[in-house]
Amino acid sequence: MFVAPNLAAVAVFMLFPLGFSLYMSFHNWDVFTPAKFVGLANYRSLITDPLFSIALRNSVVYTIGTVVPTILVSLAVAGVLNRKVKGISVFRTIVFLPLAVSSVVVAVVWQFVFNTDNGLLNIMLGWIGVGPVPWLVDPKWAMASLCMVTVWRSVPFATVILLAAMQGVSENLYEAARLDGAGELRQFVSITVPLIRGAVAFVVVISIIHAFQAFDLVYVLTGRNGGPETATYVLGIMMFQHAFAFLEFGYASALAWVMFAILLVLTVVQLRLGRRRAAQEEQSWA
Amino acid sequence: MGLKGIEDIADRVIKPSVLRGVTLYTALTAIAGCALFPILWAVSGSLKSAGEVTTPTLFPAHPQWSNYREVFALMPFWRMLFNSVLYAGCVSAGQVFFCSLAGYAFARLRFRGRDTLFVLYLGTLMVPLTVTVIPQFILMRIAGLTDTPWAMIVPGLFGSAFGTYLMRQFFRTLPAELEEAAILDGCSPWQIYWRILLPHAKPAAMALAVLTWVNVWNDFLWPLLMIQRRSIATLTLGLVRMQGEYVARWPVLMAASILILLPLLLLYTVAQRAFIRGIAVTGLGG
Repeated sequence: MFVAPNLAAVAVFMLFPLGFSLYMSFHNWDVFTPAKFVGLANYRSLITDPLFSIALRNSVVYTIGTVVPTILVSLAVAGVLNRKVKGISVFRTIVFLPLAVSSVVVAVVWQFVFNTDNGLLNIMLGWIGVGPVPWLVDPKWAMASLCMVTVWRSVPFATVILLAAMQGVSENLYEAARLDGAGELRQFVSITVPLIRGAVAFVVVISIIHAFQAFDLVYVLTGRNGGPETATYVLGIMMFQHAFAFLEFGYASALAWVMFAILLVLTVVQLRLGRRRAAQEEQSWA
Repeated sequence: MGLKGIEDIADRVIKPSVLRGVTLYTALTAIAGCALFPILWAVSGSLKSAGEVTTPTLFPAHPQWSNYREVFALMPFWRMLFNSVLYAGCVSAGQVFFCSLAGYAFARLRFRGRDTLFVLYLGTLMVPLTVTVIPQFILMRIAGLTDTPWAMIVPGLFGSAFGTYLMRQFFRTLPAELEEAAILDGCSPWQIYWRILLPHAKPAAMALAVLTWVNVWNDFLWPLLMIQRRSIATLTLGLVRMQGEYVARWPVLMAASILILLPLLLLYTVAQRAFIRGIAVTGLGG
């Protein structure tokens, strides 16, 4: 059977973990002692865990603070990159380049940019007379810094998908709009954006899924404890801590399932909204 | 047509278009600058002396190539490079082979339960890493593979739901006539796959290979969990460990970041088309 090796891999590394993780979430287990069934206790203590509400709030702030700017910026960037002018492929190559950079390298390099005493950002702020900002040191600024880096990292990804969709929009539509005297901005807002709505929705869903589970970038940029204080203590960091630092596999699995459930609900709501909007527009066409 | 008329036309046609061209290229340059500046700043920082690193110059007065030499002294760079290439190479080859095999079966062969199985595959695409990572970690511990190279290779070697989906979608776009002649000649399904369909699937196989390579190379969480020994660590893991040990030694850290980035930049320039297309088609990455 051609599918067999692949199926075995999917079963062992995807399906079995899925079931096992759910099983673990109803147990207390630290690998060394036998698992003990505790029913819903893990979920119950999760709800009352003050750190969980902090992590949840941080993850929500982080998700909104990265997804919204990413979509807006990448729509604009894709719009500009969609112009067929000389040398455009060079610009595309440069803009997509961060896609090849690992989040670890991104985080280390941005630490250097954010450095309070002599980082690039503070030097530049100094030129316009703004005092040094303690980007990664001050709890008030750390989340903003984290969002900034994430946006830098995810814009190229979103741009690739949006640009691919924009290239599928028929040239005739623009021709017609131009004859009607619509300016470029007008064309972009009333033709391009509505026509690539599907791609935008896709990017929103994927970006939310990424942001909600963020780990690598946070771990390297602001440390394994989600500091300073609890400023960047997101759900991904919380899960990592409980699983691999405290060895509370049951509790961490319960957390993972709560995250999964929230993501599923968000995705379904998003798809529903998208479909209803599409239906409404079809009606307004009729 | 009088002079006035020509001037009018010039005003309407030439000036706005020149202006528009200038605006467009300014925007493109600004966007490219935003994408590149952290990397350029890192290159610049990697060549500065400890004293110069606090100054905002982009071009160091006396490039300190010794920073790079120091990286080789502080971490077993070549060994880690070999490890990263080994893991990424094995997993990419395995993914392409097993996913194309299964993708072919799902696209072209008839067998019992095919469609149910494929829906199951699609379902696993929804499962977030957060849920599967803890059971995968425990599996590798039980199998006794932690802190061995196998831990990095085995989970990805036999293919994935994602890769299978990608290959299946591609195989479905190939015309049926391709294999009809071969069937008449009495070729077995394996021969059809190996001799006829696989050579035609090169674009999709390339995209999958490059995406997998970049993901394995840049992965952080999995090697962090699996690998303790320096001799089998990846470059990405090596950089994080180095960041922990040599806090704020920016020139050396930047030199290490650039060295780790270089092989991927090379891959990116060579295989950019496949890489970007892979992301555009699948929405994986970012």
